[in-house]
Amino acid sequence: MKFLLMLLWALSTPILANTGVAVQIQARLAAEARAADATFQGFSVQRGEAFYRDRHGDWSCATCHTDHPAKGGRHAVTQKAILPLAPSANPERFTDPKKVEKWFKRNCNDVLNRPCTAREKGDFIAYILTVRP
Amino acid sequence: MVGRILVWDIPTRVFHGLLVACFGLAWLSAESERLRDIHVLSSYLLLALIGFRLVWGLIGSRYARFAEFVRGPSAVSAYLRGLMQGHPPTYTGHNPAGALAIVALLGLGVASGITGWLAFNEMGGEVVAELHETVANAMLALVFLHILAVVISSRLHGENLVKAMLTGYKSGASGMGIRRAHGGVALVLVTGLAAFGWAMIQGKLPALWDPLSASVVGKSHEEG
Ligand code: HEC
Ligand code: HEM
Repeated sequence: MKFLLMLLWALSTPILANTGVAVQIQARLAAEARAADATFQGFSVQRGEAFYRDRHGDWSCATCHTDHPAKGGRHAVTQKAILPLAPSANPERFTDPKKVEKWFKRNCNDVLNRPCTAREKGDFIAYILTVRP
Repeated sequence: MVGRILVWDIPTRVFHGLLVACFGLAWLSAESERLRDIHVLSSYLLLALIGFRLVWGLIGSRYARFAEFVRGPSAVSAYLRGLMQGHPPTYTGHNPAGALAIVALLGLGVASGITGWLAFNEMGGEVVAELHETVANAMLALVFLHILAVVISSRLHGENLVKAMLTGYKSGASGMGIRRAHGGVALVLVTGLAAFGWAMIQGKLPALWDPLSASVVGKSHEEG
Protein backbone atom coordinates (compact mmCIF):
# COMPACT_ATOMS: atom_id res chain seq x y z
CA MET A 1 0.00 0.00 0.00
CA LYS A 2 2.71 2.41 1.02
CA PHE A 3 4.48 1.48 -2.17
CA LEU A 4 1.44 2.21 -4.29
CA LEU A 5 1.07 5.60 -2.63
CA MET A 6 4.70 6.25 -3.34
CA LEU A 7 4.18 5.33 -6.97
CA LEU A 8 1.19 7.63 -7.25
CA TRP A 9 3.12 10.36 -5.60
CA ALA A 10 6.09 9.91 -7.89
CA LEU A 11 3.85 9.93 -10.92
CA SER A 12 2.10 13.08 -9.83
CA THR A 13 5.18 15.10 -8.94
CA PRO A 14 5.21 18.19 -11.08
CA ILE A 15 8.50 17.50 -12.80
CA LEU A 16 8.83 18.61 -16.37
CA ALA A 17 11.13 15.69 -17.01
CA ASN A 18 9.67 12.40 -18.08
CA THR A 19 9.84 10.22 -14.98
CA GLY A 20 7.87 7.40 -16.58
CA VAL A 21 10.86 5.18 -17.22
CA ALA A 22 12.25 5.84 -13.74
CA VAL A 23 8.95 4.70 -12.25
CA GLN A 24 8.98 1.55 -14.39
CA ILE A 25 12.50 0.83 -13.22
CA GLN A 26 11.36 1.33 -9.64
CA ALA A 27 8.43 -1.03 -10.14
CA ARG A 28 10.82 -3.74 -11.30
CA LEU A 29 13.20 -3.02 -8.42
CA ALA A 30 10.28 -3.19 -5.98
CA ALA A 31 9.38 -6.66 -7.23
CA GLU A 32 13.01 -7.73 -6.81
CA ALA A 33 13.23 -6.20 -3.35
CA ARG A 34 10.05 -7.97 -2.29
CA ALA A 35 11.35 -11.26 -3.61
CA ALA A 36 14.54 -10.79 -1.57
CA ASP A 37 12.73 -9.69 1.59
CA ALA A 38 9.06 -10.41 2.27
CA THR A 39 8.85 -7.59 4.82
CA PHE A 40 9.81 -4.97 2.20
CA GLN A 41 7.65 -1.89 2.79
CA GLY A 42 8.41 0.28 -0.23
CA PHE A 43 11.21 2.64 -1.07
CA SER A 44 12.21 5.53 1.12
CA VAL A 45 13.45 8.95 0.08
CA GLN A 46 15.24 9.36 3.44
CA ARG A 47 17.10 6.08 3.13
CA GLY A 48 17.91 6.99 -0.48
CA GLU A 49 19.37 10.33 0.53
CA ALA A 50 21.41 8.73 3.33
CA PHE A 51 22.67 6.11 0.90
CA TYR A 52 23.57 8.83 -1.58
CA ARG A 53 25.60 10.80 0.98
CA ASP A 54 27.13 8.04 3.14
CA ARG A 55 30.76 7.29 2.52
CA HIS A 56 31.50 3.63 2.10
CA GLY A 57 35.26 3.71 2.48
CA ASP A 58 36.64 6.84 0.84
CA TRP A 59 33.82 7.55 -1.63
CA SER A 60 30.09 8.22 -1.65
CA CYS A 61 27.80 8.74 -4.64
CA ALA A 62 28.11 12.45 -3.85
CA THR A 63 31.86 12.29 -4.49
CA CYS A 64 31.22 12.51 -8.23
CA HIS A 65 27.57 13.55 -8.40
CA THR A 66 27.98 16.37 -5.80
CA ASP A 67 26.08 17.07 -2.58
CA HIS A 68 23.20 18.35 -4.65
CA PRO A 69 22.57 15.97 -7.57
CA ALA A 70 20.79 18.66 -9.59
CA LYS A 71 24.20 20.25 -10.04
CA GLY A 72 26.83 19.13 -12.52
CA GLY A 73 29.48 16.89 -10.96
CA ARG A 74 33.12 16.08 -11.49
CA HIS A 75 34.70 12.66 -11.87
CA ALA A 76 36.93 12.03 -8.85
CA VAL A 77 39.61 10.28 -10.91
CA THR A 78 39.62 11.81 -14.39
CA GLN A 79 38.31 15.24 -13.33
CA LYS A 80 35.93 15.19 -16.27
CA ALA A 81 32.63 17.07 -15.97
CA ILE A 82 29.51 14.97 -15.26
CA LEU A 83 26.06 16.29 -16.15
CA PRO A 84 23.51 16.54 -13.31
CA LEU A 85 22.01 13.24 -12.15
CA ALA A 86 18.58 14.55 -11.12
CA PRO A 87 15.98 14.35 -13.90
CA SER A 88 14.64 17.73 -12.78
CA ALA A 89 17.91 19.24 -14.02
CA ASN A 90 18.74 16.75 -16.75
CA PRO A 91 15.72 15.13 -18.45
CA GLU A 92 17.96 12.51 -20.12
CA ARG A 93 18.54 10.78 -16.79
CA PHE A 94 16.69 7.54 -15.99
CA THR A 95 15.23 7.30 -19.48
CA ASP A 96 17.31 4.30 -20.62
CA PRO A 97 16.96 1.27 -18.29
CA LYS A 98 20.03 -0.43 -19.77
CA LYS A 99 22.19 2.61 -19.15
CA VAL A 100 20.84 2.98 -15.61
CA GLU A 101 21.61 -0.67 -14.82
CA LYS A 102 25.08 -0.41 -16.33
CA TRP A 103 25.99 2.59 -14.18
CA PHE A 104 24.45 1.13 -11.02
CA LYS A 105 26.56 -1.96 -11.57
CA ARG A 106 29.71 0.04 -12.23
CA ASN A 107 29.32 2.84 -9.65
CA CYS A 108 28.15 0.53 -6.86
CA ASN A 109 31.30 -1.52 -7.35
CA ASP A 110 33.37 1.67 -7.41
CA VAL A 111 31.88 2.99 -4.17
CA LEU A 112 30.73 -0.06 -2.15
CA ASN A 113 32.95 -2.69 -3.69
CA ARG A 114 29.85 -4.82 -4.22
CA PRO A 115 26.65 -4.62 -6.26
CA CYS A 116 23.79 -2.57 -4.78
CA THR A 117 20.68 -4.37 -3.61
CA ALA A 118 17.36 -3.73 -5.34
CA ARG A 119 16.23 -1.80 -2.28
CA GLU A 120 19.28 0.45 -2.30
CA LYS A 121 18.75 1.21 -5.98
CA GLY A 122 15.03 1.90 -5.53
CA ASP A 123 15.68 4.15 -2.53
CA PHE A 124 18.33 5.96 -4.53
CA ILE A 125 15.93 6.65 -7.42
CA ALA A 126 13.18 7.69 -5.00
CA TYR A 127 15.54 10.29 -3.57
CA ILE A 128 16.88 11.47 -6.94
CA LEU A 129 13.34 12.06 -8.20
CA THR A 130 12.63 14.45 -5.32
CA VAL A 131 15.68 16.65 -5.94
CA ARG A 132 14.77 20.08 -7.26
CA PRO A 133 17.23 22.38 -9.05
CA MET B 1 71.11 -27.45 -43.33
CA VAL B 2 68.42 -27.15 -40.71
CA GLY B 3 69.24 -25.45 -37.41
CA ARG B 4 68.26 -22.68 -35.01
CA ILE B 5 67.67 -19.48 -36.91
CA LEU B 6 66.62 -16.04 -35.73
CA VAL B 7 63.17 -15.23 -37.12
CA TRP B 8 61.58 -12.59 -34.85
CA ASP B 9 63.59 -9.44 -34.29
CA ILE B 10 63.62 -7.78 -30.86
CA PRO B 11 61.20 -4.92 -31.70
CA THR B 12 58.60 -7.46 -32.85
CA ARG B 13 58.98 -9.50 -29.66
CA VAL B 14 58.94 -6.46 -27.40
CA PHE B 15 55.88 -5.17 -29.25
CA HIS B 16 54.13 -8.49 -28.75
CA GLY B 17 54.90 -8.67 -25.03
CA LEU B 18 53.85 -5.08 -24.36
CA LEU B 19 50.71 -5.49 -26.45
CA VAL B 20 49.69 -8.44 -24.29
CA ALA B 21 50.41 -6.44 -21.13
CA CYS B 22 48.54 -3.31 -22.28
CA PHE B 23 45.56 -5.28 -23.55
CA GLY B 24 45.39 -7.19 -20.26
CA LEU B 25 45.56 -3.96 -18.24
CA ALA B 26 42.98 -2.22 -20.44
CA TRP B 27 40.72 -5.21 -20.13
CA LEU B 28 41.00 -5.61 -16.35
CA SER B 29 40.46 -1.89 -15.72
CA ALA B 30 37.59 -1.48 -18.19
CA GLU B 31 34.63 -1.75 -15.87
CA SER B 32 35.83 0.45 -13.06
CA GLU B 33 35.61 4.22 -12.75
CA ARG B 34 38.26 3.98 -10.03
CA LEU B 35 40.67 2.54 -12.58
CA ARG B 36 39.54 4.75 -15.45
CA ASP B 37 42.94 6.50 -15.62
CA ILE B 38 44.69 3.15 -15.91
CA HIS B 39 42.26 2.03 -18.59
CA VAL B 40 42.86 5.14 -20.67
CA LEU B 41 46.62 5.16 -20.06
CA SER B 42 47.14 1.51 -20.99
CA SER B 43 44.90 1.95 -24.03
CA TYR B 44 46.83 4.93 -25.33
CA LEU B 45 50.03 2.94 -24.92
CA LEU B 46 48.37 0.10 -26.80
CA LEU B 47 47.49 2.48 -29.63
CA ALA B 48 51.05 3.80 -29.72
CA LEU B 49 52.31 0.21 -29.89
CA ILE B 50 50.02 -0.55 -32.82
CA GLY B 51 51.19 2.64 -34.52
CA PHE B 52 54.77 1.45 -34.14
CA ARG B 53 53.91 -2.00 -35.46
CA LEU B 54 52.28 -0.58 -38.57
CA VAL B 55 55.50 1.27 -39.36
CA TRP B 56 57.67 -1.74 -38.47
CA GLY B 57 55.50 -3.84 -40.77
CA LEU B 58 56.76 -1.69 -43.62
CA ILE B 59 60.41 -1.12 -42.72
CA GLY B 60 61.19 -3.91 -40.24
CA SER B 61 63.24 -7.06 -40.74
CA ARG B 62 62.11 -9.76 -43.15
CA TYR B 63 59.52 -11.68 -41.10
CA ALA B 64 58.14 -8.57 -39.43
CA ARG B 65 56.97 -7.13 -42.75
CA PHE B 66 53.35 -7.31 -43.81
CA ALA B 67 54.45 -7.96 -47.37
CA GLU B 68 56.16 -11.14 -46.17
CA PHE B 69 53.30 -12.65 -44.19
CA VAL B 70 49.97 -11.20 -45.36
CA ARG B 71 48.72 -13.57 -48.03
CA GLY B 72 45.54 -14.04 -50.03
CA PRO B 73 42.44 -16.06 -49.08
CA SER B 74 43.60 -19.11 -51.07
CA ALA B 75 46.79 -19.42 -49.00
CA VAL B 76 44.73 -19.03 -45.81
CA SER B 77 42.24 -21.71 -46.77
CA ALA B 78 45.04 -24.04 -47.96
CA TYR B 79 46.72 -23.59 -44.58
CA LEU B 80 43.49 -24.17 -42.64
CA ARG B 81 42.71 -27.26 -44.72
CA GLY B 82 46.18 -28.57 -43.96
CA LEU B 83 45.59 -27.81 -40.28
CA MET B 84 42.36 -29.86 -40.29
CA GLN B 85 44.15 -32.79 -41.90
CA GLY B 86 46.93 -32.61 -39.34
CA HIS B 87 49.80 -31.55 -41.59
CA PRO B 88 49.69 -27.81 -42.35
CA PRO B 89 52.31 -26.40 -44.74
CA THR B 90 55.35 -25.01 -42.94
CA TYR B 91 56.24 -21.33 -43.02
CA THR B 92 59.38 -19.85 -41.53
CA GLY B 93 57.58 -16.67 -40.46
CA HIS B 94 53.86 -16.28 -39.69
CA ASN B 95 51.53 -18.80 -41.30
CA PRO B 96 48.69 -17.31 -43.42
CA ALA B 97 45.99 -17.92 -40.80
CA GLY B 98 48.12 -16.40 -38.06
CA ALA B 99 48.76 -13.43 -40.33
CA LEU B 100 45.04 -12.92 -40.71
CA ALA B 101 44.62 -12.94 -36.94
CA ILE B 102 47.43 -10.39 -36.58
CA VAL B 103 45.89 -7.99 -39.09
CA ALA B 104 42.45 -8.38 -37.49
CA LEU B 105 43.89 -7.86 -33.99
CA LEU B 106 45.68 -4.69 -35.09
CA GLY B 107 42.45 -3.44 -36.72
CA LEU B 108 40.32 -4.26 -33.68
CA GLY B 109 42.90 -2.60 -31.44
CA VAL B 110 42.63 0.61 -33.45
CA ALA B 111 38.82 0.34 -33.48
CA SER B 112 38.76 -0.20 -29.68
CA GLY B 113 40.98 2.82 -29.28
CA ILE B 114 38.87 5.11 -31.45
CA THR B 115 35.52 4.07 -29.97
CA GLY B 116 37.01 4.25 -26.47
CA TRP B 117 38.29 7.74 -27.09
CA LEU B 118 34.86 8.76 -28.33
CA ALA B 119 33.15 7.19 -25.30
CA PHE B 120 35.63 8.87 -22.97
CA ASN B 121 34.76 12.22 -24.48
CA GLU B 122 31.06 11.44 -24.45
CA MET B 123 30.66 11.62 -28.17
CA GLY B 124 28.03 9.32 -29.60
CA GLY B 125 26.31 8.44 -26.31
CA GLU B 126 25.37 4.92 -25.26
CA VAL B 127 25.55 3.65 -28.83
CA VAL B 128 29.27 4.37 -29.01
CA ALA B 129 29.87 3.15 -25.44
CA GLU B 130 28.25 -0.16 -26.35
CA LEU B 131 30.09 -0.35 -29.66
CA HIS B 132 33.32 0.16 -27.73
CA GLU B 133 32.49 -2.76 -25.46
CA THR B 134 31.49 -4.94 -28.41
CA VAL B 135 34.68 -4.21 -30.37
CA ALA B 136 36.78 -4.91 -27.27
CA ASN B 137 34.88 -8.17 -26.69
CA ALA B 138 35.51 -9.18 -30.30
CA MET B 139 39.20 -8.47 -29.77
CA LEU B 140 39.27 -10.62 -26.64
CA ALA B 141 37.52 -13.45 -28.50
CA LEU B 142 40.12 -13.21 -31.26
CA VAL B 143 42.93 -13.21 -28.71
CA PHE B 144 41.64 -16.53 -27.37
CA LEU B 145 41.28 -17.94 -30.89
CA HIS B 146 44.82 -16.77 -31.65
CA ILE B 147 46.15 -18.52 -28.53
CA LEU B 148 44.24 -21.69 -29.37
CA ALA B 149 45.57 -21.67 -32.92
CA VAL B 150 49.12 -21.12 -31.67
CA VAL B 151 48.81 -24.13 -29.35
CA ILE B 152 47.40 -26.33 -32.12
CA SER B 153 49.97 -25.18 -34.69
CA SER B 154 52.77 -25.76 -32.18
CA ARG B 155 51.61 -29.35 -31.72
CA LEU B 156 51.28 -30.06 -35.42
CA HIS B 157 54.57 -28.43 -36.40
CA GLY B 158 56.42 -29.93 -33.44
CA GLU B 159 57.72 -26.47 -32.60
CA ASN B 160 56.91 -24.35 -29.55
CA LEU B 161 55.71 -21.12 -31.17
CA VAL B 162 55.23 -19.35 -27.83
CA LYS B 163 58.88 -19.95 -26.99
CA ALA B 164 59.82 -18.74 -30.48
CA MET B 165 58.01 -15.45 -29.85
CA LEU B 166 59.98 -15.09 -26.60
CA THR B 167 63.45 -16.06 -27.84
CA GLY B 168 63.09 -15.14 -31.50
CA TYR B 169 64.48 -18.51 -32.64
CA LYS B 170 62.80 -21.23 -34.71
CA SER B 171 64.21 -24.19 -36.54
CA GLY B 172 64.73 -23.68 -40.24
CA ALA B 173 67.17 -23.74 -43.13
CA SER B 174 70.26 -21.81 -42.13
CA GLY B 175 70.03 -19.24 -44.93
CA MET B 176 66.49 -18.29 -43.93
CA GLY B 177 67.25 -16.44 -40.69
CA ILE B 178 67.43 -12.69 -40.25
CA ARG B 179 70.87 -11.26 -39.67
CA ARG B 180 70.12 -8.44 -37.28
CA ALA B 181 67.95 -8.41 -34.16
CA HIS B 182 67.49 -4.60 -34.17
CA GLY B 183 67.90 -4.21 -30.42
CA GLY B 184 68.48 -0.48 -30.92
CA VAL B 185 65.04 -0.02 -32.45
CA ALA B 186 63.48 -1.89 -29.52
CA LEU B 187 65.31 0.45 -27.15
CA VAL B 188 63.92 3.47 -28.99
CA LEU B 189 60.44 1.93 -28.83
CA VAL B 190 60.59 1.27 -25.09
CA THR B 191 62.11 4.68 -24.34
CA GLY B 192 59.50 6.40 -26.50
CA LEU B 193 56.63 4.56 -24.80
CA ALA B 194 58.06 5.31 -21.36
CA ALA B 195 58.33 9.02 -22.21
CA PHE B 196 54.79 9.03 -23.65
CA GLY B 197 53.39 7.28 -20.57
CA TRP B 198 55.28 9.55 -18.21
CA ALA B 199 54.07 12.68 -20.03
CA MET B 200 50.48 11.43 -19.72
CA ILE B 201 50.83 10.68 -16.01
CA GLN B 202 52.31 14.13 -15.45
CA GLY B 203 49.35 15.69 -17.25
CA LYS B 204 51.59 17.08 -19.98
CA LEU B 205 49.28 15.83 -22.73
CA PRO B 206 45.94 17.31 -21.66
CA ALA B 207 44.55 17.10 -25.17
CA LEU B 208 44.44 13.30 -24.83
CA TRP B 209 42.46 13.43 -21.60
CA ASP B 210 40.11 16.31 -22.14
CA PRO B 211 40.31 17.85 -25.60
CA LEU B 212 37.24 19.97 -24.99
CA SER B 213 38.60 21.74 -21.92
CA ALA B 214 42.27 20.89 -22.01
CA SER B 215 43.18 23.10 -19.05
CA VAL B 216 41.51 21.02 -16.31
CA VAL B 217 43.64 18.01 -16.73
CA GLY B 218 47.01 19.31 -15.68
CA LYS B 219 45.86 18.69 -12.12
CA SER B 220 44.45 15.29 -12.89
CA HIS B 221 45.65 13.66 -9.68
CA GLU B 222 45.32 16.34 -7.02
CA GLU B 223 41.93 15.50 -5.61
CA GLY B 224 39.97 12.28 -5.36
C1 HEC C 1 33.86 7.98 -9.84
C2 HEC C 1 32.76 8.88 -10.01
C3 HEC C 1 31.36 8.37 -9.71
C4 HEC C 1 30.86 7.94 -8.50
C5 HEC C 1 31.59 7.86 -7.17
C6 HEC C 1 29.49 7.61 -8.73
N1 HEC C 1 29.17 7.82 -10.04
FE1 HEC C 1 27.36 7.48 -10.91
N2 HEC C 1 28.10 8.07 -12.70
C7 HEC C 1 29.39 8.47 -12.95
C8 HEC C 1 29.55 8.75 -14.36
C9 HEC C 1 30.84 9.19 -15.04
C10 HEC C 1 28.29 8.53 -14.95
C11 HEC C 1 27.91 8.68 -16.42
C12 HEC C 1 27.78 10.12 -16.69
C13 HEC C 1 26.94 10.49 -17.87
O1 HEC C 1 26.22 9.66 -18.41
O2 HEC C 1 27.00 11.69 -18.18
C14 HEC C 1 27.41 8.10 -13.88
C15 HEC C 1 26.07 7.78 -14.08
C16 HEC C 1 25.26 7.24 -13.11
C17 HEC C 1 23.92 6.76 -13.37
C18 HEC C 1 23.20 6.78 -14.72
C19 HEC C 1 22.02 7.70 -14.74
C20 HEC C 1 21.44 7.87 -16.11
O3 HEC C 1 20.32 7.44 -16.36
O4 HEC C 1 22.14 8.47 -16.96
C21 HEC C 1 23.46 6.24 -12.18
C22 HEC C 1 22.12 5.57 -11.93
C23 HEC C 1 24.52 6.42 -11.20
N3 HEC C 1 25.58 7.03 -11.79
C24 HEC C 1 24.42 6.03 -9.88
C25 HEC C 1 25.44 6.17 -8.95
C26 HEC C 1 25.35 5.67 -7.59
C27 HEC C 1 24.19 4.91 -7.01
C28 HEC C 1 26.52 6.01 -6.98
C29 HEC C 1 26.94 5.71 -5.53
C30 HEC C 1 26.87 4.33 -5.13
C31 HEC C 1 27.35 6.68 -7.97
N4 HEC C 1 26.65 6.76 -9.16
C32 HEC C 1 28.63 7.12 -7.76
C33 HEC C 1 30.40 8.60 -12.02
C34 HEC C 1 30.29 8.28 -10.68
C1 HEM D 1 42.48 -0.19 -27.13
C2 HEM D 1 42.01 -1.12 -26.35
C3 HEM D 1 40.82 -0.96 -25.45
C4 HEM D 1 40.16 -2.01 -24.89
C5 HEM D 1 40.49 -3.48 -25.07
C6 HEM D 1 39.07 -1.47 -24.11
C7 HEM D 1 38.14 -2.23 -23.40
C8 HEM D 1 36.99 -1.74 -22.81
C9 HEM D 1 35.86 -2.51 -22.35
C10 HEM D 1 35.73 -4.03 -22.42
C11 HEM D 1 34.94 -1.65 -21.81
C12 HEM D 1 33.55 -2.02 -21.28
C13 HEM D 1 33.52 -2.12 -19.79
C14 HEM D 1 32.16 -2.62 -19.33
O1 HEM D 1 31.22 -1.82 -19.28
O2 HEM D 1 32.06 -3.83 -19.07
C15 HEM D 1 35.49 -0.33 -21.90
C16 HEM D 1 34.87 0.82 -21.44
C17 HEM D 1 35.41 2.09 -21.55
N1 HEM D 1 36.62 2.43 -22.17
FE1 HEM D 1 37.84 1.19 -23.18
N2 HEM D 1 39.10 -0.10 -24.18
C18 HEM D 1 40.16 0.28 -24.98
C19 HEM D 1 40.53 1.57 -25.32
C20 HEM D 1 40.01 2.73 -24.71
C21 HEM D 1 40.50 4.09 -24.94
C22 HEM D 1 41.66 4.49 -25.88
C23 HEM D 1 39.75 4.91 -24.12
C24 HEM D 1 39.80 6.42 -23.89
C25 HEM D 1 40.68 7.22 -24.39
C26 HEM D 1 38.78 4.08 -23.44
C27 HEM D 1 37.82 4.54 -22.56
C28 HEM D 1 36.77 3.80 -22.06
C29 HEM D 1 35.64 4.36 -21.34
C30 HEM D 1 35.41 5.85 -20.97
C31 HEM D 1 34.78 3.30 -21.03
C32 HEM D 1 33.42 3.40 -20.33
C33 HEM D 1 32.41 3.71 -21.42
C34 HEM D 1 30.99 3.83 -20.90
O3 HEM D 1 30.45 2.81 -20.50
O4 HEM D 1 30.43 4.93 -20.96
N3 HEM D 1 38.97 2.76 -23.81
N4 HEM D 1 36.74 -0.41 -22.53
